[in-house]
Amino acid sequence: MGGYIAKRVGQALLVIWLAYTAVFLAVQALPNDPVTIFLSTDAAADPATIAQLKAHYGYDQPLITQYLGQLGALLRGDLGYSLSSGAPVAARIGEVIGSTLVLAGSAFVLAVLLAVALVAAATLARGERLRRALLNLPPLFISIPVFWLGLVLLQLLAVQLGVMSLFPDGSALSLLVPILVLALHLSAPIAQVLLKSVQQVSAQPFVDVLRAKGAGESWIFYRHTLKNAAPAALSIAGITIGTLLAGSVITETVFARAGLGQLVLQAVTVQDIPLVQGLVLLTAATFTVVNLLVDLIHPQLDPRIITAHAGSARALAA
Amino acid sequence: MRPPRLALKATALLAALGLSLTACGGSGAASPNTEAAQPAGDPVQGGTLTYAEVTPIDNWQTQAARFYEKANVLNSVLDRLTYFDAEQGKLVGWIASDFTSNEAKTQYTFTIRDGVTFSNGTVLDAKAVKANLDALGLGIKDAQIQPNVDFSAYKSSKVLDGNKVQVTLKRPDANFLRATSSVTAGLVAPETLKLDNAGQSAISKIVGSGPFVFASEKPDEEVVFSARDDYAWAPQGAQNPGAPYLDELVIKYLPEVAHRAGAAQSGQVDLVRGLQPVDEQVLKSGGGQVFAAQGVDLTTNNASVRIGSGQLADAKVRQALQVGMDRQALKDTVLSDSYVISASILNHKTPGFVDFSAELAYDPARSKELLDEAGWVPGPDGIRQKDGKKLEVTVASSNNSVVIKPAFELIEQQWREIGVKLVNRAADNTFLTSALVDDQVEFFGTRQFAYGGLGPVFGPANNTQTLNADEELNDLFTREQAATTEQEHLKLIGEEQRALVLDKALTLVLWDEVQVYGAHSGTHVDFTSGTAPIFQGAWKSGK
Repeated sequence: MGGYIAKRVGQALLVIWLAYTAVFLAVQALPNDPVTIFLSTDAAADPATIAQLKAHYGYDQPLITQYLGQLGALLRGDLGYSLSSGAPVAARIGEVIGSTLVLAGSAFVLAVLLAVALVAAATLARGERLRRALLNLPPLFISIPVFWLGLVLLQLLAVQLGVMSLFPDGSALSLLVPILVLALHLSAPIAQVLLKSVQQVSAQPFVDVLRAKGAGESWIFYRHTLKNAAPAALSIAGITIGTLLAGSVITETVFARAGLGQLVLQAVTVQDIPLVQGLVLLTAATFTVVNLLVDLIHPQLDPRIITAHAGSARALAA
Repeated sequence: MRPPRLALKATALLAALGLSLTACGGSGAASPNTEAAQPAGDPVQGGTLTYAEVTPIDNWQTQAARFYEKANVLNSVLDRLTYFDAEQGKLVGWIASDFTSNEAKTQYTFTIRDGVTFSNGTVLDAKAVKANLDALGLGIKDAQIQPNVDFSAYKSSKVLDGNKVQVTLKRPDANFLRATSSVTAGLVAPETLKLDNAGQSAISKIVGSGPFVFASEKPDEEVVFSARDDYAWAPQGAQNPGAPYLDELVIKYLPEVAHRAGAAQSGQVDLVRGLQPVDEQVLKSGGGQVFAAQGVDLTTNNASVRIGSGQLADAKVRQALQVGMDRQALKDTVLSDSYVISASILNHKTPGFVDFSAELAYDPARSKELLDEAGWVPGPDGIRQKDGKKLEVTVASSNNSVVIKPAFELIEQQWREIGVKLVNRAADNTFLTSALVDDQVEFFGTRQFAYGGLGPVFGPANNTQTLNADEELNDLFTREQAATTEQEHLKLIGEEQRALVLDKALTLVLWDEVQVYGAHSGTHVDFTSGTAPIFQGAWKSGK
């Protein structure tokens, strides 16, 4: 077990380092350095100012010095300075990350609950029509664009009925509606994979044995089928973190909320490359850490993973 | 709370008829541009006005206020030396009660108004003005703040007796006074100038002498300002000479364009910027108001030409495109009554504007003639070619304007008729990242603040409009800046427009800059010549 954890953590660190390197190289591949690009949005930037700013932020140093310097700073939690606000990138992210964590975290939990509830209802439903209707919900959820649902709900609730604010005013609705919009979209892939997996598990002989022994359907589902089907859904849930971040950009824009999504948009619009760089790294790190957690939880659900070849964990789950 | 339906209908009807009910207007600082009818009455004291901007921003540093999001808010926080009165078409005193220049336009003297204080209690005197002028003209090295582009002629200033400041320029600049009226030349407390870059960029730390003072903020969601009760130094002739009528001003953000009309109509905001043409009628008929704030301080919206690719190297081709555009159709199809089609690179109300509407009239036959003369002949697919190369050109622009993309879609169709293919990359911010500094991309669609005249916009070799320094133009700019009389100055501004728009056709003009605002029924507000709302004179009725 210890070896498995060490290996997974090591791989995660490697991925983050590679992500840092890729982002650094991508910035170098831009037609100009970050300072020149940032100032070029102005009418006509003074070359002397550009040179002075470049020196101030260290963009005039040799590439290898910049690479190692930024890497060293990164290890200390220093992501450099935002060219737009002059504030440290880490501080700028810190201002708004709480808002995104609340939105994305709640949406994720709600999405998982929705997915499990949907699959349970679809599996245990008695009528064939009801079952079919429930089975068609995930494809419907994934086909509804996040922005469209957000716009429609706001138009209805905030403009037509006037029961909620167009702005995040701290009321329960102004938090619940964006969470719901994001969660619906997110729950679809989790529900679909879980459903498929539940169907596979249900077809296995041990379920027939349980039934023959006189076990009830819901007892079989909650105690046996769901438990065996969970690893697959867990894997997909880890991957949906990416969708969650993309969804946050849209949700935050539509609902005028502060957050990482809005910040990415701002940073790209004013061409504040150090800020973009910091946000991309944060995203890569989040993605890696979440998937690391998934890998660490997997053996708890399915102990065979430790004994089998580590690389086949996902294959087994899928 | 909604006003009675009958009143709504009446207001909408009057607005539709273009009648103005603005009995409260008529003074100097009022803008003549508010199109919708504002209910009559005396200003109501008190209340909170909620204003929604388009996107949140994190850099409030004065010199960097070249974007509406910043300038529209800082306009109510920072006072300037002078104020441009769009109605009278002239510069009036503000923090400078008087201003004079020598004949050579190399020296300007400002008399500073007595009794003005910053919100932290520091006196706004000649010394504080000198500190600000030095920061504007020379930049602040320690805080990585670059000089203001409109102050490029600035050399030094000194404090004289009698609360006066004398500015000396490196070269003559007849536009220097006008530049002191810009929000980007807003005066901050000397304490603010000593902060580091992050400090001077933070709205919570910027101290001004304006009518509103920072109270609180939620990053990227809201900034709250409270009115300064002792404010008593509005620009000369301002509708409201003293403290704001409002108690509080709340800035929020509505990045989603589809919500803006609804937000104003339902009263969730009192004022919102960036209304789409399609929403104007909806808002008016729903009982809201639509204000078109004319951007007198800016160039018109235009597609400036980069000749780097060689496609547009011949002036005849550029002239062909200039008259190959049906601007009236543009207004009728894509824009609204709030928009005025351009007759020059300057706004109709800008001093020195010359009307070229006759020369710019849609004339596809003349376009074809010019293209023939330039050697571009129609190819098999209808697109003209020369030496085996097709006449294909690309336009880049940011997505800041709500109408720029559909506008270029229409122009694309119009130009196809004269055999020119336009690749429309307007409103594509990703493409703009590289296109902004790429002289191979033939057009950059935009508009710019022009407080320093057209020189700083089209002059420097790295100017973002043409990315090219044209010697003849620069000679003209230098002569214009050195003009010693008003008459000569205006004459040279006219020559600049003729050169840019007709003779060289280096900029294809589209429509006068305008910012369309949506407002709730009881909102009363006027706008500066830079399209910023004047919150100091704003009030709300019926609440």
